[in-house]
Amino acid sequence: MKISTKDISASVVVFLVALPLCLGIAHASGVPVMSGLIAGIVGGVVVGFMSGSHVSVSGPAAGLITLVEASLHDLSGGKDAVIASSALQAFAAALVIAGLLQMLLGLLKVGKLADFIPVSVIKGMLAAIGIMLILKQVPHLVGWDADDFGDEGFIQHDGQTTFSEILVAFEHLTPLAIFVGVLGLIIQFSWETKLFKRAKILQLIPAPLVVVIIGVVSNALAIRYEPSFIIEKSHLVNIPNFMDPGMAMSSMILPNFGALGSLLVWVIAIKITLIASIESLLSIEASDKIDTHKRVTPPNRELVAQGFGNTIAGLLGGIPVTAVIVRSSANVNAGGMTKWSAIFHGVWLTLAVLMFPNVLNLIPNSALAAVLIFVGYKLAKPSLIKQEWAKGNMSFVPFIITVVSILFSDLLIGILIGMAVAFFYIIKSNFHKSLTLVKIEDNFMVRFQQQVTFLNKSLLKNMLEELPSNCNAILDLTHCTFMDRDILDIIDDFQVRSAEKSIKLSFEFLNESHKLKLLGELNCNFISKIK
Amino acid sequence: MEDQIKLFLSNRAWASEKLQDDPTYFENLAKDQRPDYLWIGCSDSRVPANEIIGAEPGELFVHRNIANMVVHTDLNLLSVLQYAVEYLEVKHIIVCGHTGCGGVKAALTNQSYGLLNKWLRNLKDVYRLHKEEVDAEVGEEARLNKMVEMNLIEQVGNVVKTSIVQKAWKDNNRPHVHGWVYEMHSGLLRTVIDVAPGAPIDPMYVFD
Repeated sequence: MKISTKDISASVVVFLVALPLCLGIAHASGVPVMSGLIAGIVGGVVVGFMSGSHVSVSGPAAGLITLVEASLHDLSGGKDAVIASSALQAFAAALVIAGLLQMLLGLLKVGKLADFIPVSVIKGMLAAIGIMLILKQVPHLVGWDADDFGDEGFIQHDGQTTFSEILVAFEHLTPLAIFVGVLGLIIQFSWETKLFKRAKILQLIPAPLVVVIIGVVSNALAIRYEPSFIIEKSHLVNIPNFMDPGMAMSSMILPNFGALGSLLVWVIAIKITLIASIESLLSIEASDKIDTHKRVTPPNRELVAQGFGNTIAGLLGGIPVTAVIVRSSANVNAGGMTKWSAIFHGVWLTLAVLMFPNVLNLIPNSALAAVLIFVGYKLAKPSLIKQEWAKGNMSFVPFIITVVSILFSDLLIGILIGMAVAFFYIIKSNFHKSLTLVKIEDNFMVRFQQQVTFLNKSLLKNMLEELPSNCNAILDLTHCTFMDRDILDIIDDFQVRSAEKSIKLSFEFLNESHKLKLLGELNCNFISKIK
Repeated sequence: MEDQIKLFLSNRAWASEKLQDDPTYFENLAKDQRPDYLWIGCSDSRVPANEIIGAEPGELFVHRNIANMVVHTDLNLLSVLQYAVEYLEVKHIIVCGHTGCGGVKAALTNQSYGLLNKWLRNLKDVYRLHKEEVDAEVGEEARLNKMVEMNLIEQVGNVVKTSIVQKAWKDNNRPHVHGWVYEMHSGLLRTVIDVAPGAPIDPMYVFD
C-alpha cells in the first residue's frame, strides 16, 4: 500500500493526541507510564499492521482503566496503595493469555456479534464520547490537570465528577494556558472555513500541529520575557527520560508465567479478553461509521489483530490495547486515509520515547486539550444530533439514552443501557407488525406476518379470545415464514377452544410444502388435523 | 364462508398492514400515478406482473391478455399504450411472455375454440413467419417455448410499428421496448429482445 503525505501528517496529529492519553491512562491505571507508552506503540505498529481497518487506531483504552487498576490491586494481595512489582509481572502474564484468547475468539468468528449493535447506539456512543471529550478537556484547557488525561468515567480518579471538575478548574486558571487553548480552538475552527481551505499551503499543515507549536512558542516567549505568565511544569507534557539507564531498566516489566498457577490470573485474563474485545469491536464499528469512505473492517480479523497486539504488549510489560475512538476520529479528522497513519503514530511514539522526550515535554497540556476538544466537537456536532432526531423515536430515543448513560456512567455500561433501549424498540415494532385481525360481519381473519414469535404471544391470545361463538375464522399463514413453538401451542389450544365455541376455523397456507415446512420443523403433532 | 368473503377479508388485512407501515399510504397513492413501466403480459394466473418484479402499487401500468399479444386493431391495447406513452410518459414498455403458455400451445394445434380462434389466429401467423426456427426444435416443450420467444419478438415489433411509439421516439427519445420470458419452472425472467429508441424499423412500417 502506498504511503501518502496525508497519512504522514495525520499520523503526527494522532501521535500528539495519543501521547498524553497513553501517559494519562497508564497513570490512572496505576502502572508505570512506560507501560502505557508500550501499549501505544504496540497498538500503533503491531495492531495497526495486522488490522483490516483503514482508519482505526489502537492503544491503551480508558475503558479498561478500572479493570487494570482492580486487577493489580487483587494481585498485590489487596494491599492498598503499593502495587508490588510481582503483581505487575503476573498481570503481564494474564495479558499474554488474554491476547491468545482474543485471537481464539477471532478464529472462532465471534466478531460477527458486533453486527448486532444497533447503529443508533453506535452513533450515541460517538456523540457521547465527543461531549465527554469537551467536558473532560475544559479543565486541562484552562490549566487544571488534577485528573488524568483520558479518564472517561463520570466519577473521576481525582474524586471529582465530570461537572464538578470544571467548577474546580475555574478556580485554578492559568492565563497563558487559557490563551494557548482558546487560540488553539480558534485556529482549528478557522482551518475548516472556506477562507483557509483556499490556502493550499496551510492545508498541508495539520491544524493541531500549528496549535501545539503555538503552545510551545508562547511558553518559550513567556520564559524569556514575562516569567510571571509561565505555564508551570505540571501543566506540560511529562515523559520521563527513559534514556537514563537506571530509569529504563527499572521501568521494564517482564511477564511472570509462573503466576499462571493462580486461578486469579486466569480470571483476570478472561475479563481482559471480554472487555477488550467488546471495546475493540465497538470502536471499529464506530470508526467505520466516521470513515469518509465508509469502508468496512472485518471484525474477526480485528480480534486476531488485537489479540496478537495484547500478547506482544503483555510480553513487553504493557497494558491492554484496544481499538480506540478518540484517536481514530482524530485520525479521520486529520485526513488519515490508510492504516499507515496508525502505524506511523506508533513509530513516532517510539521515537518520542527514545530520542526527544525533552522536546515533547515543552508542550502545554492546554494545547492538547484544544486539539481534543475539537475532536469532541466533530463527534458531537449539533447537526449530527439533529440528523438522529429527524429519524424518529425508534432511532433517536436509543441514541440519546446512550449518550446520557455514557456521560453519567462509563462506556460499557452506557452501551448496555442503550442497547437495551434499542432492543425494546425493535421488539415493540415487531410486536405491532406481526399480526392483523380483520372482520366482515361474522367472518374473521387473523393474518400472520413474516415472523411470529413468543413476543407476539399475548397479542395472538387476545385476538383469538375476541372471536365470538359461531363465527367463521381464517388463520391466514400465507405470508408467515417462521413461527415458534409457543405460537403453535396457542394455535393448538385454540383448535379445542374454537370447537367448544362452535367457531368454524380454517387455515390458509401458501401450498402444501409451505405448510409442512412451517409446522413440520416444529414436529407438530396436530399437523394432520390442520387441513 | 363464501369464497368472495375470503377475498374481502384478505383485502382488509392487506390495507390495514399497509396503514401500519405508513398511515398516509393510500392518501399518497390516491393523489396521482407516475409509473415508469408499461407491462404487456399474459392473463395466466401464474404470472402476476407486480409480484414477480416486486413492483409496488403505483409503479407498473398493466395490460394483460391471452398470450401477451399486441394486435394493431385492438382498441383496448392501443388505448392503454397511448395513455401510457403520451400521458404517463413511461420510460419502458415490457412485453412479457412465459414458458408453457396455454394460448401459444392452443394455437399450435388444429383444435377449434370458437371465438378464441380469431385471437389465436394472430399466433398462427407468428408460427407461419417463424416456422423454420420453431420446427428446428426437438420435442413438444422445446417447440412451444421457441414459439413463445418468436411471439415475443413479433409483439415487440408490433409495439414499435405503432405511430404512438414512433412519435414518442422522435419527440422524447423514449420508451425502451423489452421482450422478456418468464421461466415458469424457476420463477426467473430472461431477456429475449431489447429495442432502444431510434432503432431501425422496417421502412414499410415507418410513419412520417
